[in-house]
Amino acid sequence: MTMEPVALADPATAGGEAPDDAPSARQKTGMFHRAIRQPITLICLAILALQVVVALAAPWIAPHDPLHPNVQHRFEGPGAEFLLGTDDLGRDTFSRLLYGTRTALIASAQSVAIGLVLGVSLGLFVGYRGGWWDRIGMRIADVMQSIPALLLALALVAVIGNGLGKAMLAVGIIFAVSFMRVARAVVLAERERLYVDAARVLGLRSSSIMFRQVLPNIAPPLIVQASIALGTALLIEATLSFLGIGVDATAVSWGSMLDASRQHVSEQPLLAILPGAAITLSVLVFNLLGDGLRDASSPRGVGGKKVKRPKTVEGDDAPAAGGAVNGTAKAAGRHAAPEAAPADALLTVKDLTVSTATGAELVSKVSFHIGKGETFGLVGESGCGKSISAAAILGLLPKGVGVTGGSVTLDGTELTSLSGERLRQIRGRRIGMVFQDPISALSPVHTVGRQLTDAIRAHSDLSKAQAEERAIELLSLVGVPAPRKRMLDYPHQFSGGMAQRVVIAGALACDPELLIADEPTTALDVTIQAQVLDLLAGLRDRLNMSLLLITHDLGVVADLCDRVGVMYAGQVVEVRDVRGAFTSPKHPYTEALLAAMPHGEDSGETLATIPGRVPPAWDWPKGCRFHPRCSYAVDDCKSGFIPLDDGVRCRRAVELKLEGAR
Amino acid sequence: MIKFVAGRLLSVLPTLLLVSVFVFLLIHATPIDPVAQILGEGAGAEAKAQLAEQLGLGRPVAEQYVSWLVSALQGDLGASLYTSLSVSESIADGIGITLSLALAGMGVALVVGIPLGVLGALRPGTAADRMLTIVVAAGLAVPSFWLALLLALVFAVNLGWFPVIGYTPLFEDPVGWFLSLVLPSLALGVHTAAVIARQVRSAMIEALDSPYVQTLLARGVKRGSIVLRYATKNAMVPVLAVVAIQMSVLVAVSFVIERIFAIPGLGTLLMDSVVRADYPVLQGTIVVVAIIVLLVNLAADIAYGLINPKVRPQ
Repeated sequence: MTMEPVALADPATAGGEAPDDAPSARQKTGMFHRAIRQPITLICLAILALQVVVALAAPWIAPHDPLHPNVQHRFEGPGAEFLLGTDDLGRDTFSRLLYGTRTALIASAQSVAIGLVLGVSLGLFVGYRGGWWDRIGMRIADVMQSIPALLLALALVAVIGNGLGKAMLAVGIIFAVSFMRVARAVVLAERERLYVDAARVLGLRSSSIMFRQVLPNIAPPLIVQASIALGTALLIEATLSFLGIGVDATAVSWGSMLDASRQHVSEQPLLAILPGAAITLSVLVFNLLGDGLRDASSPRGVGGKKVKRPKTVEGDDAPAAGGAVNGTAKAAGRHAAPEAAPADALLTVKDLTVSTATGAELVSKVSFHIGKGETFGLVGESGCGKSISAAAILGLLPKGVGVTGGSVTLDGTELTSLSGERLRQIRGRRIGMVFQDPISALSPVHTVGRQLTDAIRAHSDLSKAQAEERAIELLSLVGVPAPRKRMLDYPHQFSGGMAQRVVIAGALACDPELLIADEPTTALDVTIQAQVLDLLAGLRDRLNMSLLLITHDLGVVADLCDRVGVMYAGQVVEVRDVRGAFTSPKHPYTEALLAAMPHGEDSGETLATIPGRVPPAWDWPKGCRFHPRCSYAVDDCKSGFIPLDDGVRCRRAVELKLEGAR
Repeated sequence: MIKFVAGRLLSVLPTLLLVSVFVFLLIHATPIDPVAQILGEGAGAEAKAQLAEQLGLGRPVAEQYVSWLVSALQGDLGASLYTSLSVSESIADGIGITLSLALAGMGVALVVGIPLGVLGALRPGTAADRMLTIVVAAGLAVPSFWLALLLALVFAVNLGWFPVIGYTPLFEDPVGWFLSLVLPSLALGVHTAAVIARQVRSAMIEALDSPYVQTLLARGVKRGSIVLRYATKNAMVPVLAVVAIQMSVLVAVSFVIERIFAIPGLGTLLMDSVVRADYPVLQGTIVVVAIIVLLVNLAADIAYGLINPKVRPQ
């Protein structure tokens, strides 16, 4: 692995300052901070703390000697003298439970400590050394793990003799195997990291690298594992004691209490219930603690909330995110009729707004229409809201995202308010969709034929055999050779281009009037892209479909589309016929995209790029959203709502003379 | 396919050999003197020497291992130090019982665990899902042997629906066999059901979030059939590995359950040998259990190939 000499300058920088790819010790503290903010984790920690106190202070808080028999008080129920009653020898159950806590916690802590020390050092060693050490170590781990843990504990107990300490040593050895795996996996991952190499180049000894750099990083997964192992150890201790090979008669264990209760359940049922409940609670605490720590160490986004459409009047004209006051009157006047959709348009999207549950607008008042047989291109950089707009049309927005305004009409039918079942009947039958990555758009464990016939039968009463014939027909329509044979193949047996043909076949299954193709060639090999585009164009003409083509490639738009909508930062900034957009763009962003377009002959020229990047949805700039990146921006561009006027969303549209495609 | 299975079988052999070496060494590293165990501490030196000779204890450990392995390969795992019964025969008697208990436990786990996991995945974050998470957490924490005690107390002792202890062979009385397995397999299956429910839930959530689900939705395929036919099958791929691991856990835990219900399976055999340091029995049983575990993993690999076409041999 080679690396920039600059990064070597300061080991602290290499190790600590790269928050993106080096989860340093800070992540661990972050993990604990996050963990104690989870109420369940906090409750578990409190219970655990209480248990530790009980375990330590058992001799002082226990009202009776847990081992002292008192035959006058056998099988007593709960009372003032014996809080939770007594057992067959008249011993106080409450005191025995307290002492049992001690046994359980010591035993689990002991075995997990042994496992950690042994496992982590072995894991660090084999992981760092690699080669034969690693192979032998992992082979032994395989052998150990092919014997169930409990069984191995039993065998080890048989070998090293009864007694809790020995039994837990055995359990610790078993844990060492899984800790070793965790440590090794982390070391292998960390080894590849830049900063370990950096430290090695700097001449730190290999052992100090491991302990200084790797150890803080393996702490989070190990803590999670250790917490769960504590629960398992507690369970094994109880089991072994229950089987009579754990604690001896001088100690009290919940497991042996349960064993003793078996003969006397009918006399005093509490004896069989309390210790079991204590075990369950303790294991639960460790498990939930482990879960909480795991969640805290890998924080995920929230989401999942349903986004409701606000109950505002349809066509409410309040300006979107920018909140402009000046020029509202002027804006509202023109804004009312942006680019009036002709009555015979197949799909009309009007003022479509899509927001997240947190209120960020991903798409703001997007309007466009597509005529029958027309091809409309939606173009812009990634993150501009093109795909979200397409998903909104079909009602397939991801969780936590919803349509919060505007309308989508297909041939006069409003789609955004349609019920699930009615929308389903439109999906696939009237609107087909093709996705970016064909391989992931197909289920890996179902045959291609199955996936096609299910799409066909979703909208028809065809029999299985008829649907299969139709699927074969579709596959040959999209140019898949030997379609009958390939019906039985799985997606991974197709090349990217062939898989995209299959996805297109699926989209065409029920002769839709509109095909939405969302970056249909982006994931494909360059040599295949042209073929797939030709196929789409051919199919559109043959089947007389409308096509909504989403792309970031203006070349594709020039080849295929009749009209184009340019999207930037969730808004349509320019919408017009393709020829006009290419020869005389009206919006600086369109001009910038055209300038960034590679063009055939003069390949020696360096390609123009647009400085900066698309801002995130919660940080759309005020005024014109493109102004921070626009070379024509003036102060007036930085504020106010800019409407889509005569197909252009630009304050300076009239005065600017922009350059078209070269 | 046959080649694939044969290849996998062959790859299991070295591990198995290592297991046997490991177990042999482990047991021979013990400070326990089998001669003293059998004859008692007070036996005469001559008798002791004679027995040691008879058991072949004087020979080097490697030699002892080879001779054990040679007879083991012929199906002879030696004889118990206490009962002099053939270890192979004792294991043969118990293995069917243990396996039927473990399989019944797995049956319970799958029947309960998969639907619970799928239900949780369909509406993650809702009250029902949170309820389910609590049930699963409890299921993971309850010790199987305590559950066995409680089940026996309520359904066998108090209600008398099932036998309190004992095992009825299948061919003797199928109904009795079924009844004798109900409580043990329930006690055994609950923990695994919780493990499986948890795994199914996360695998289903991931599967339902996949691009192909979007594709199917965009094709107008009904959500119900996407869940049942597509997401479930995809989710089974990671669940299978968990099922394999749990199967070996079930075999081990069934040993404890056998003891509670006095079921004469491998567990009873093993527990007796642990307590008495009856090492030929111990050794034989552990190796046989290791074979079971390895075969279960092999079966899981094959099933993995069936469910996941990518790893299936072409």
